[in-house]
Amino acid sequence: MSALERAVSHPSPVEGLGARSPVAGLRRRSIGFLDVLSQSVSAVAPSAAATTIPLMVAAVAGKSSVLAVAAAMILCLLVASTVNQFARRMSAAGSLYTFVSKGLGAGASFVAGLAMVIGYGFIAMFSLAGAGFYLATLASHFWPGASESGLLVSLLVALMGLLTFFVLARGVRLSTRVTLLVETGSVGIILVLISALLTRQGPQLDWGLIVPRDTDLGDFVIGAVLAITAFVGFESAASLGVEARRPFANIPRAIFGTVVASGLLYIVATYSQLVGFSFLGRSIDSSSSPVNDLATAYGVEWAGLLLDASIAASFLACALASGTALVRVLFSMGREGLLPASFGSTHSRFSTPFFAILVAVPILTAVPVVAIALGSGVRGAMAFLIVTAAAAFVTAYILVCAAVPVFLWRIGELTVWPVARAVAAALLLSGALITYLLAESGTEYSSGVVAFLLLMSLGTLTYAAWTKRHPRRRHTIGLYDEPTGADVLGGIHDPSEVR
Amino acid sequence: VTDLRARQPKAIHSALTVLEEVARVGAGVTAKEISENLGLARATAYRLLNLLVQDEYLVRMPDLKGFALGRKVAELVGRVAPSRPPQAAREIMMQLRENSRGGIHLVRYDAASLRVIDIDPDFPLSDEARIIRELDSSAMGLLLLAELVLTGQRPRTSFRPAEAALEEILETTNRLGFASVAGRDEGLGCLSVPIRDSQGVLVAGLCYSGPRTRIDSPAALVEVLTSSGRALAPLLA
Repeated sequence: MSALERAVSHPSPVEGLGARSPVAGLRRRSIGFLDVLSQSVSAVAPSAAATTIPLMVAAVAGKSSVLAVAAAMILCLLVASTVNQFARRMSAAGSLYTFVSKGLGAGASFVAGLAMVIGYGFIAMFSLAGAGFYLATLASHFWPGASESGLLVSLLVALMGLLTFFVLARGVRLSTRVTLLVETGSVGIILVLISALLTRQGPQLDWGLIVPRDTDLGDFVIGAVLAITAFVGFESAASLGVEARRPFANIPRAIFGTVVASGLLYIVATYSQLVGFSFLGRSIDSSSSPVNDLATAYGVEWAGLLLDASIAASFLACALASGTALVRVLFSMGREGLLPASFGSTHSRFSTPFFAILVAVPILTAVPVVAIALGSGVRGAMAFLIVTAAAAFVTAYILVCAAVPVFLWRIGELTVWPVARAVAAALLLSGALITYLLAESGTEYSSGVVAFLLLMSLGTLTYAAWTKRHPRRRHTIGLYDEPTGADVLGGIHDPSEVR
Repeated sequence: VTDLRARQPKAIHSALTVLEEVARVGAGVTAKEISENLGLARATAYRLLNLLVQDEYLVRMPDLKGFALGRKVAELVGRVAPSRPPQAAREIMMQLRENSRGGIHLVRYDAASLRVIDIDPDFPLSDEARIIRELDSSAMGLLLLAELVLTGQRPRTSFRPAEAALEEILETTNRLGFASVAGRDEGLGCLSVPIRDSQGVLVAGLCYSGPRTRIDSPAALVEVLTSSGRALAPLLA
């Protein structure tokens, strides 16, 4: 231990470290593993997805739905392990946006950042709309017809938006604690329902659903691609990299754990819903709200009430988590000069990106309110929002997977397996994105595909114009939480000097 | 940590070796260098490094390539008082310095690394970090390298075995029984004689650094240093 002892007793000075992190202002190293985990879990909103996704997947993949969900889970595990190549090595509030810059440079990084802003933004709007809609549905248990009132839904959405604003501004700790509580509750309710369903069903497994015999490959692929949308958001723990304690351990664990846990929940939920309907002798796509219908058919109607409450709560949690991640991407862009510098400022007391919250949350609230007021119907508006968001997320995932091999090569840590996983994920996701865009453009929600393509190209054109005007600014892209002198032995002798 | 559980005792050993290596080479050492210096498989070395970064014993430098010891290492090792040589040894050093016309330093060797335990206050070392990091840059480092070659050990350093010139220098060192190096500055250099315990194990080195004239015709200097070294041996072994 001699060299170590010497290093401790007489640390040799370490050069090249600043006294402040480039992202100083956020509350550095302040939240633990559970908070980080709840960020990812809430952004995925597993209970809302477990009640809606099986229907979507089953509508195309039929009996091979369980397999399609499992395939989506495996693909997302590949992506998670690839994102973690970055998350283990650097902590950045900009998450994938910043990660991509370390592999593919400023241009690709901007596209990824734009995709993340669209992804988180549209998921947040989708969730606010969902929260409002399910709260109205809840109200209609007492006042029939309440859910039909566009005015009521709009009011509830606005109220949820206000709540989101306060929770986000007040601090990341409050928002993750609230979301953890909410999401645990709603997943618990789903699990109770599933076990009630399976208990009535008896213990035997329906192998025809697990190993389907006559599977149409095309339907299976589209089913799997749709199932990916149930996972998006799992990477959002990375946006808390700066604020997390032991980020290089906790964030990868949260990202991977979220995919595993929600994937298992989806598999069980899909299986039980398929079994439930086949037992009733009905097809799952004959139902618009399968879990509610199942609850009624199996004589646990009271569960429908609980379910609506839990889905509303899950949507609210998802809005909070997506908003949390979104404002941190905007914050990073503000610090880098890509957005006005005010976006990079933080609240002096709450240490949150206050200005970004002040700008983003009203927009996130107004869009669904206006969409509902324009009479497009809540469900239509939600379907449009989710299509755009899902396409944007997959785009960012493709870029981050492509960035990993270059990044590992640059830092001299290239090994076979991480690269193999990254390449496999990038190829599969590219196929998935094309399949998804083609499949959705054939449906009534093709406006979501158009919105995605339009926003991405508009944003990229704006960026191209911006780089022409500020050719040197693009080198600032990729700011992350660099270690300071206080973090290393021999950096700054008295850590209190920088506080 | 889970993926290491099956071979945990080995893993802990390797992790400590990695920390030791970062301490020895200094801040900025890369993953590749560590895996090469320690003869660890690359995937293993990278996994260990990332685990140590997770636990904050190591910190990734802003270039994302290099590593430095984290503040947490201090908790692991504890605040160790600098190991000052005993009073009798310091008195011998003082006498020696009185008419040396150059710096007289005392270094200690353990396993494959050296540490300077008594630096001449009037002629401080120009670049202590380099002396520790690049063993082939100083006479005190050459003594250790020559010893490692003699005992058939693999030196864990920036030592490039392909360099025939270095091999020759080490042979000469072993033949003469002392090492000398011309300094980077014109007209300066350094010379070291070994201090061995009763079994002949190299434990320390006595070094002169100063004008080249005394090194180019070393007989007198070597004589003085060797006799002081003999007096120091029982105090340091």
